[in-house]
Amino acid sequence: MPDALTSARDLVGTLVADRADAWDAAGRLPEDLLRDLGGRGLLCAEVPGSYGGLGAGSRDSGEFTAYVGSLCGSLRSIMTSQGMAAWTVRRLGDQDQRAAYLPRLTSGELAAVGFSEPDAGSDLSAMTTSVRVEDDVVVLDGEKMWVTGACYADLLVVFARSEDDVVVVVVPTATPGVTVERIPDPLGCRAAGHANVRFSSVRLPASAVLGGTGLSLLATTALAYGRISVAWGCVGILRACLNAAVTHARTREQFGKPLARHQLVARHLAELLVSEQVATRACEHASDLWDARSPDLVTAVVLAKHVAAGHAARGAATATQVLASAGAAHGHVVARAYRDAKLMEIIEGSTEICQLILAEHAVATVA
Amino acid sequence: MMADHAEVTERTVVAELLTFLEERTKSAVTEDQDLFATGAVSSMFAMQLVVHLEEAYDVTIVGGDLKQVNFRTVRAMAELVLRLREAQGVTGGA
Ligand SMILES: Cc1cc2nc3c(=O)[nH]c(=O)nc-3n(C[C@H](O)[C@H](O)[C@H](O)COP(=O)(O)OP(=O)(O)OC[C@H]3O[C@@H](n4cnc5c(N)ncnc54)[C@H](O)[C@@H]3O)c2cc1C
Repeated sequence: MPDALTSARDLVGTLVADRADAWDAAGRLPEDLLRDLGGRGLLCAEVPGSYGGLGAGSRDSGEFTAYVGSLCGSLRSIMTSQGMAAWTVRRLGDQDQRAAYLPRLTSGELAAVGFSEPDAGSDLSAMTTSVRVEDDVVVLDGEKMWVTGACYADLLVVFARSEDDVVVVVVPTATPGVTVERIPDPLGCRAAGHANVRFSSVRLPASAVLGGTGLSLLATTALAYGRISVAWGCVGILRACLNAAVTHARTREQFGKPLARHQLVARHLAELLVSEQVATRACEHASDLWDARSPDLVTAVVLAKHVAAGHAARGAATATQVLASAGAAHGHVVARAYRDAKLMEIIEGSTEICQLILAEHAVATVA
Repeated sequence: MMADHAEVTERTVVAELLTFLEERTKSAVTEDQDLFATGAVSSMFAMQLVVHLEEAYDVTIVGGDLKQVNFRTVRAMAELVLRLREAQGVTGGA
């Protein structure tokens, strides 16, 4: 792991400490914390040094993401969004656009990514947000839903339909015609600043439209980063759950012995360990392929996301069972994990969408 | 991947890509076949192609080069690779 990320673990550990429960309850992260971490390049650690980033590989960045995810699912969600925005600009932006936007994302400005719409969730081909050329500007109209981090974001990376293709537009949140409406009371990752965002005749320079085009290429590119990031975040959830469950089961006694010595509880602990290990291995594999630039990364990332999210949801439920009333207060680490993990089965390609992709891959490739 | 220092020409790229596609999709394709229209490859596979071309030919495919028409046929991909190798000053074999 780059030195910067190793020392960043201590830093983030100190900054978050035991505050995640309160952030979850309040539904807000301290914005100065986000800008501080952003300014250190820690919210998108894979951005190369030439753009002010830390140049971390996927594996190191993933381990860091898991660590943050073990502390606070909302902060990890912000990292996923910022990283996805940076990755999208890095891949789809032309040289000038990369030079214009990436340094902003490593110096304290915050970004969010919008693809989902009221009528386009799993089926992104139904998106209707549009961008049209008018003289020397482009005009954006439409609505995006559930944009993670939008409440804090300076820049919104928005998927939209142009005349004959799908493009990505970088929109400063402060542009006239942009309305950010906070989702007041989300089930999980409650402090991640989710919002529905409306664009009403938003006028932008033509240079705000990134160079790359085409829905399938754009979406698979952006989502690949989001998926591996979420997958590592799920590893973090599982580590937090394993830790909480084992610690509790060792000390809490019922029927004259520690919970861990009751076989049915011990089985819960075994399964939690298995979940944490299986999710970790799937993520390591996908990240190693990513770092080796192997084409197999594309499927491996979907597989890792699917495996990790499923294990996180089951593991969080298991940990909640082991802690019982001790974990049942709303902001408790396992209660947060229980709510956050369920959402991980929905975002960045739901369980079912991942299964469809993996099945398609199996049908196409098994000899 | 081909042997080091092999000369990279449109012909060698086309041949290598046909093999890559055949191995990966378990079906034979031709160099002018529209891979997406004929369902030979999925949208997920488009990204695999991007990663493969970058790795095998030491090029970076970003920005305006990242558009579907560049990956629609094997010939289009070969043209893209050669253009980018020229523009990005890649001289070594693939
Ligand atoms: C916490 C959270 C954060 C989010 N962050 C962002 C963000 O930052 N940016 C953004 O753009 N969006 C974001 N989203 C939206 C998210 O991407 C969508 O919720 C997701 O794509 C699913 O779409 P949907 O909710 O409309 O569900 P639908 O598409 O309506 O699906 C409903 C159910 O049907 C299933 N289903 C749908 N189609 C099929 C099919 N063909 N076969 C089998 N099953 C199917 C789905 O798996 C799901 O279980 C976020 C959502 C949440 C909850």
